[in-house]
Amino acid sequence: MVSKRFVLKRLLLLVPVLFGVATFVFAILHLSPGDPARVIAGQRATAEQVALVRAELGLNDPIWVQYARFLGDLVTLNLGDSYIVRKGTPVLRVLRARLPVTLELAIYGQFIGILLGIPLGLVSAVKQDSLTDHLTRVGALAGISVPIFWSGPLLILLFAQSLDLLPATGRIASAYDVPVVTGLITVDTLVLGVSAGDFAPFRSAVSHMLLPAAVIGVYSMALISRMMRSSMLEVVRQDYMRTARAKGQGAKITVMKHGFRNAMIPVVTVIGIQFGTLLGGAVLTETVFGIGGIGTLLVRAIEVGDYPLVQGTVLVFALLFTVVNLGVDVTYSYLDPRIDQ
Amino acid sequence: MSTETKTTERRAGRGLLARLRASPFLSDFLSNRLALAGLLLIAGVVAVALYARVGAALGFAPSVEALRATRIGTNPSLAAPSAAHPFGTDIQARDIFARSLYGAWLAMKYGTITVGVSTALGVGLGVVAAYYGDVTDNVIMRSMDVLLAFPSLLLALALVAIFPDDLGLWRAVAALTLVYTPRFARVVRGAALKVMEDEYIDATVALGARDPRVLVRHVLPNCLAPITVQSTLNFGLAIIDLAALSFLGFGAGPGTPSWGLMLSNGVSQGLLTGEWWWSFFPGLLLAITVLGFNLLGDGMRDALDPRMRQAVD
Repeated sequence: MVSKRFVLKRLLLLVPVLFGVATFVFAILHLSPGDPARVIAGQRATAEQVALVRAELGLNDPIWVQYARFLGDLVTLNLGDSYIVRKGTPVLRVLRARLPVTLELAIYGQFIGILLGIPLGLVSAVKQDSLTDHLTRVGALAGISVPIFWSGPLLILLFAQSLDLLPATGRIASAYDVPVVTGLITVDTLVLGVSAGDFAPFRSAVSHMLLPAAVIGVYSMALISRMMRSSMLEVVRQDYMRTARAKGQGAKITVMKHGFRNAMIPVVTVIGIQFGTLLGGAVLTETVFGIGGIGTLLVRAIEVGDYPLVQGTVLVFALLFTVVNLGVDVTYSYLDPRIDQ
Repeated sequence: MSTETKTTERRAGRGLLARLRASPFLSDFLSNRLALAGLLLIAGVVAVALYARVGAALGFAPSVEALRATRIGTNPSLAAPSAAHPFGTDIQARDIFARSLYGAWLAMKYGTITVGVSTALGVGLGVVAAYYGDVTDNVIMRSMDVLLAFPSLLLALALVAIFPDDLGLWRAVAALTLVYTPRFARVVRGAALKVMEDEYIDATVALGARDPRVLVRHVLPNCLAPITVQSTLNFGLAIIDLAALSFLGFGAGPGTPSWGLMLSNGVSQGLLTGEWWWSFFPGLLLAITVLGFNLLGDGMRDALDPRMRQAVD
């Protein structure tokens, strides 16, 4: 079982990492060549106006004062206001609106990846060196080799342009006006469907989700099936597997009951690490499919030099990634109780 | 002294060759057809890259300036693939085939620099962390942990913001080098720690060898296997990430015949109007190159992993 002490220890270990992350982000933005005051005041502002903005932002203070203020703001969850992209809106509010979009995409992608990757990896391992195994392995390698920004456009070309089966970009047909409840569009439209009896928006949202989720899912499937295969191959050779068979247990039950759970340990790690790659991939997927998530937000913020927004987005991504990894560690110790000792 | 060192070195050299010949790694690797296929793909891409670069220098292939310049008036613009233009032409009427070939050179060049520098940095940091341990280890590895706390493409995007635009692909290289270094540091540190448990390291230290000698002559050579695998696998990733940064507009400058930028232009301007060839071919070459490195890296990892060597009974 997972001990409370273990979880607590992992949580405490997070503190220095997050502190380092915050310091690093602060450093990056202060090393950037652009001048935030100039960005806010605009290109046509006079030198006095720029100086005024600079004083207002506290950019004339010594660097350690700015750093202390930055850390203080972080602790109180104040990420500042966006300079340009959503001028004057608190960064936290912008992120709260955009984050569910990215998360939804990542979750569906991950779901597809797990659903296909685990069985494929299992079959590949059980039938090692068969044709199925070879095809799965080459397919998995091809899956991680094909860039999202190439496969995505090709899928749009095939399913949206040529076959006209699915929409090319966006999250839902523009005709529908869905009230935001959770921010997850498939959930919101489903709630709307159940309450109002109109499932057309839901169908539209799902059909918009299919292509981007599939693109992310293929990538995640490739990594998961590879890890599942090699992990299962290792477990199959363990003594306890032979013991179980020697006791007269059937091959299938042995593989599922004794093999599967033990083989899942490294797979869970990969799923976790994967989630970070997936969030990075979301930047590309959102750009290709014209989805307004946190990824496209970051790209836009960097382009125009909206520093607080860049800072906030990067911090949130790092936090998400770190929390997911913590979740992985805890699951890990549940699957293998020896780990927390 | 010097002749003595030389003979020892020669003997060590011969030992290495004999060891290589007898090594299960090499025979496993050669029997792994997928890895060989990967090696062939890479060889093909390297040949194309060298042809484009050497050709540009000697005049039998177009120069970069010629590939950047608009060809409107000379060529048809947005022409579909034909005998004259096997990959078609783009909106500036430039031949996509010639540009894609040069793209191979850019990918290999910048990929090599990215992976090379981050390997060197990571190996240095990893070995030092493992060897000195204690505070040094903690300072190095905790800083690496901070870098590893970011999803890689995100970190690269944030870092790209530090460097001025006019650096072009170099700023993508600089950002990605910082992103990849911690991965190498972590792998090398782990490998070095394992090597240092071996008695020959104690023996060397007891014989009076100084730290740099122990590190460079004894610890490092025994960590080469994992380093090579890590470099190969990251080479594929580096090529994709370089292209991704160009695709998002933070890499190659306008007109550069890089695969990422061609893809970006082709997707944003040509995809929905039917000029599929504009983005299709650069992307295909990119995917093939990355597949080559992944096949090779995967095969090497299997061959190095003794657990994968025995067959299942």
